Amino acid sequence: MLNSLLKKLIKTASGRTRFVMAIIGMSVALLLILSAVQIQIDYDDLLYSKTNQDSIANFLVVNKILNNKTYGTATFKEEDLNKLKQQNFIEDVGILTPSRFKASIQSYSDRFPFYTDISFESVPAAFIDVNSKDWKWKEGDSFIPMIAPNMFLDIYNFQFSLSQNLPQLTQDIVKMIVFKVNINTDKGPVSFNGKIVGFSDRISSLLVPQEFNDWANQHFSNTQNAKPSRVVIRTKDPGNPALVKYLKNNGLTTDADKTRFSKYRQIVNAIVNVSWITGAVMLLFALLVFTLFIQLTIASCKEEIQLLITLGASPKQLQKFLMKQFFPSNIIIIIISLIAITALQFEAHQVLQEQNIFVNTFTSYYTFATAFFILLVLWFVNYRSIRKYIAVQDK
Amino acid sequence: MQIELKQIVPIPLKDKFSQRNSDVWNQTVLFQHGEWIKIKAPSGTGKTTFIHTLYKLRHDYSGQVFYDDQEIKNISGDALAQIRQQKISIVFQDLRLFPNLTARENIELKRVLQSPFYDAAIIDEMAAKLGVASILNQRAGLCSYGEQQRIAIIRALIQPFEWLFLDEPFSHLDHENISKASALIAEECSKRKAGFILTDLDEDAHFNYSKYLQL
Repeated sequence: MLNSLLKKLIKTASGRTRFVMAIIGMSVALLLILSAVQIQIDYDDLLYSKTNQDSIANFLVVNKILNNKTYGTATFKEEDLNKLKQQNFIEDVGILTPSRFKASIQSYSDRFPFYTDISFESVPAAFIDVNSKDWKWKEGDSFIPMIAPNMFLDIYNFQFSLSQNLPQLTQDIVKMIVFKVNINTDKGPVSFNGKIVGFSDRISSLLVPQEFNDWANQHFSNTQNAKPSRVVIRTKDPGNPALVKYLKNNGLTTDADKTRFSKYRQIVNAIVNVSWITGAVMLLFALLVFTLFIQLTIASCKEEIQLLITLGASPKQLQKFLMKQFFPSNIIIIIISLIAITALQFEAHQVLQEQNIFVNTFTSYYTFATAFFILLVLWFVNYRSIRKYIAVQDK
Repeated sequence: MQIELKQIVPIPLKDKFSQRNSDVWNQTVLFQHGEWIKIKAPSGTGKTTFIHTLYKLRHDYSGQVFYDDQEIKNISGDALAQIRQQKISIVFQDLRLFPNLTARENIELKRVLQSPFYDAAIIDEMAAKLGVASILNQRAGLCSYGEQQRIAIIRALIQPFEWLFLDEPFSHLDHENISKASALIAEECSKRKAGFILTDLDEDAHFNYSKYLQL
């Protein structure tokens, strides 16, 4: 009852256009700020979440740039490795150990004659993206499991087989073939059976278990303890510009494609920054207009407010009434912005899903938290300006 | 609640008042709870100034006014509103109704400003007693001054109070209406065991005053 009487006395209708403009400005500002938060979170999701974990992206094979200057010294010293391990964007460093003996593989089958000289590499098991129960070797085993790069098979299937008029091979067929692996030693060749147990995108060389490689190097090699020339690093974010910079500054190189996210990330960062700075500035102006609107309303009802106070209306009652007039529009703006963001997020989820990019279906709770925080700020600004201008009338 | 005045003199009227003998200005005066006080004063001797000072509408005076033990200069904002809602009610000389509200809305506003002392039906009862029932739904600005005066009286009586300040409350009423209004005021004050301070130009016998003062 009191409110309806106060509504008749304190007309909030004056300056309605200004009010509407402040509301629109505030809505746009909120949309910008909230989408900045949501985009940032979606992007972080893309980088770190399980569903998006790209096996290529998180492991980088790094070597020193080989050119005329570095010729013969493009190996990693102990201190180089330690320095790498100390970088906070590098989680783990694995050494790729090359085989230091002469080897060849050939097929047993006459129908599929095959012979080639070959070298192996090995890497600690933690860096391998193939799960196979056959991936093990101990001294005395005559069977050597191998992991081949996908690229080898692609080259064979789409180039070599066509030029040589050979049949194309699927991964499963290749896995069934047993090869003969020969190692040349001083005392003559030693033979093993070998089989491809998996294909990897991660490391572009023929991998054998570390145990086998170490054993064979020890027994069949003439050179001892050669320094590693390639390492594999594990990183949370190969798109981290700091990583890219570090590699460049230290004369290191990796597959450039794997650090492609670095550029995307800078673009996303720029978008997010522009979006939220614009949003923040707009919010500031919208708040200013809103405050002015409150001041105008109170000033235009100055006499009524003064008489109300004279008659015994408490400043608190009037503040409460005015808050009820002004604040709900803020809540509505926030709710509408959140609905819009949720709709956009759902749409983004649908569209990106078709491209095998998985972002959340729903708005992140960080976005909701931000919205809530902004609501608190709005409440505070409303409350303060109403209090201030009522107090002016109370004098 | 008792009201105490200590040597109050309105600053703009200081020179004028220091010449005159007054029961109020520059005196220590105590108004006990429940006293019915008549303050008589000719025009221009500061009746309205006095009522406004007492009601804390003006601050341009020397001396002190106390509500119980509290100096009113130290009461403000919500605490002052609390007193105006519960302890002190007032009929202004210039009435101060909201012209754009109806007579009933003017009264109702004062009724619901605090938790209501009376039901809304009492408005009609009081209006009937004072002969303004027919204009209750008319905009206050359109009512005659005499009607507005009675509306202002009802508005003052609809709330709880311990003190009622009446600043020439019958200036625009005829004898018959004055006796109706004073009867209602006396009834309401007795019901609340409340006191009042009434200012007027002349002697009168409208109430059974417990104290007469000359301004």
